[in-house]
Amino acid sequence: MKKTIVILALFLICTAAFGYNLRLSQIDASRLLLTQTVRLYVSVTDDLGVPVKGFGPESFTIFESPDGQAFERIEGLTEFKPQAASAEGINFLLLIDNSGSMYDTPEGRPTEDAARMRITHAKTAVRTFLGSMTSPEDTVGLVAYNTSYTLLASPSGDKGQVAGFLDGIQKPGSEQAYTELYAALTLAVRDFQGLGGRKAIVILSDGENYPYFQHSGNPHPEFGNKIYAYTEPIQACVEEGISVYAVNFAAEKDANLEAIALETGGTVFDARSQEELAQVYRRIHEQVAGEYLIGYRATMAPAEKKYVRVQVQENGQSQQAARFYFSSTVFGLPYGKVGVLLIIPFVLAFLALWLISLFKFEKKRGPATLEVLKTRVGRAQTRMMPLGTKKTVIGGSRNADLTIVGNPGIKEQHATVLYDAKKKAYTVVGTGDLTVNNRPVKTKVLEPGDVIDVGGATIVFDDGEV
Amino acid sequence: MSTGLRRLILLCLGILGGVAAWPLTELIVAGQARFPSYLLFVAVLGAAVGILMGAFFGAAAGIFARVQSRILVGMFVGAIIGLIGGIIGLLIGQAALFLIGGRFLSSYRGFQRVGLPISRAIGWAFLGIFVGLAEGFRAGSAKKMGIGVLGGLLGGLIGGFALEYSRLYLPRAFPSRLIGLVVLGLAIGLFYGIIERSMAFGILRVLNGRLKGKEFILNESRIRIGRAKRNQITLEPYENLADRQVQIRFRRGEALLTNLEPKHPVLVNDQPVTEHRLKYEDVLKIGSAKLFYRYD
Repeated sequence: MKKTIVILALFLICTAAFGYNLRLSQIDASRLLLTQTVRLYVSVTDDLGVPVKGFGPESFTIFESPDGQAFERIEGLTEFKPQAASAEGINFLLLIDNSGSMYDTPEGRPTEDAARMRITHAKTAVRTFLGSMTSPEDTVGLVAYNTSYTLLASPSGDKGQVAGFLDGIQKPGSEQAYTELYAALTLAVRDFQGLGGRKAIVILSDGENYPYFQHSGNPHPEFGNKIYAYTEPIQACVEEGISVYAVNFAAEKDANLEAIALETGGTVFDARSQEELAQVYRRIHEQVAGEYLIGYRATMAPAEKKYVRVQVQENGQSQQAARFYFSSTVFGLPYGKVGVLLIIPFVLAFLALWLISLFKFEKKRGPATLEVLKTRVGRAQTRMMPLGTKKTVIGGSRNADLTIVGNPGIKEQHATVLYDAKKKAYTVVGTGDLTVNNRPVKTKVLEPGDVIDVGGATIVFDDGEV
Repeated sequence: MSTGLRRLILLCLGILGGVAAWPLTELIVAGQARFPSYLLFVAVLGAAVGILMGAFFGAAAGIFARVQSRILVGMFVGAIIGLIGGIIGLLIGQAALFLIGGRFLSSYRGFQRVGLPISRAIGWAFLGIFVGLAEGFRAGSAKKMGIGVLGGLLGGLIGGFALEYSRLYLPRAFPSRLIGLVVLGLAIGLFYGIIERSMAFGILRVLNGRLKGKEFILNESRIRIGRAKRNQITLEPYENLADRQVQIRFRRGEALLTNLEPKHPVLVNDQPVTEHRLKYEDVLKIGSAKLFYRYD
């Protein structure tokens, strides 16, 4: 917040000293990774919102900062193009004032004649605007505001949707009749943030900010005791590169609404002139077409977002505008100092790898065993069975040495493993069906690694030698 | 070595790869401002992570085969392929981060808690995909490449989120990048371990002798078995077999065993064979070693 206030303060000070309005309307950082360059679209307009031509590259100075405070001057531009017309569409958000005063005449007198009400003129102005939209790339959304802020239609290419919502706007009750103008503009910026590209707010108003809390004495249902200042929408719009174009329905121009429009690079149109109203859309497009394209080589200072400040100078006077672009890297920001202790995890990882590589994972000599690898039906009560010199019975009986329960195909004493002390060999003898190494047998002298199948139970014999 | 132990080792290698890569990434990240461009900075960072992850996963085959020389060769080849994978992966990841992050930045609400973590996780996922791909490429196995991509993708996503959220919610001095890298390595290791098994043609389990209980996962279309260390399956401690005794080829769902050295008989289910179409639960005798061919 502090940073943005600093930027805004600079902006406001310079505006006063300079005849033109400067706006950084778009930052294109899409080439940052491949070419290290950033492109800026800069709009310089006069007080009528007309693009000012004739500035050369020497008039612009670019600064970059990782924190919005310490700016580094960029030496040399990589690209400069006046009137860099862009084929990109513009996103419009139309804000229509639906407060009590909009149901008066343009001169501010109460009236029951709908045709004379400011709101009727405002609705006509919106229809005129929608009718003048020619670029299919453009989008438009609609907001009605009074005490509350209501987003009626999010920006989309569907102009008919906006026209439909327009008809539904009704005169508010007394509690809703206040005018939170600055709040509405600030909230509109929030609703606009999700969209990329160029963005313009067109506000149709009698220019009066009439906050609920200040005039009713009661806390606002949403904002409480907060009263928005006119600088807040300016700050939000400058940060987001949004221009505000005001269509005025009061006899006198409101000073703050005019300031908001001019300082965001927009302008004020007079609603009484149908000719002027019809030009709103074209004028905004002209402004975009009149932008300067400035390319420069970006700095490498680590930051999640980088602040760019563009300064334009003429006749010893200058003005500047600032915005930021995304500059975070996959691994994020550095922690600070890198100590030599970092070598420790590196060495430890390799040491651990070396230790793992030393493991032989080999079996040592042991007793002869029967190991149940798996059972197709039922389950073995013992997985590994050491073999002694006595006979070992495999079967379904609980009295068997190696019991396989839950398999009706296995006899009580299905097979027996016998030890021949003279030959120092084990022999398997079957009373039921038995295979060794997938071959049916009645009896077989076992070799290490022989696979005995007893009713679907796979049992491996091993003499324990290695 | 059983499949479980094998999985544990892969997990350890992933974690160790992450731990080894971390100090180097800290060093490079700290020096960001000294790099002339994001391109070079990101390429060097990707190379560092790729080399170390690649080297550690490259050691796996040698560790499983218990062949020291194969560990070193595997690490070297893994490092080179990891280097390429790391550079490509991180460059794509960074491009994605710039693109997505830029979009999220313009909608500032929840940027720190939602936009940035999502953008970073996607950036990491690309790094993970290519680092995971590297080991499969080294092993010449399309299946392993597929496994690596899945593991890397998931590990990268989780690692990226872990990095961002630990940075947000834990003290500043907390080594968030270490957590991210360890999670990345761990997930790749986990996927190699789990999916390697499920995508394999089968297992050969040693039934006797010094290697009893060891399970060789058959995930290459041609497996050679013999005493020599250059075979995928080395039966060094066993007798009566040649340096390269048996070949198993997997084609169209069939496993064809060929005895390459008829001087030494090879038995399948106690019958000598020169060529044999293997089926699950066959018992192979190669020299003095007995092996059980199984699927699960």
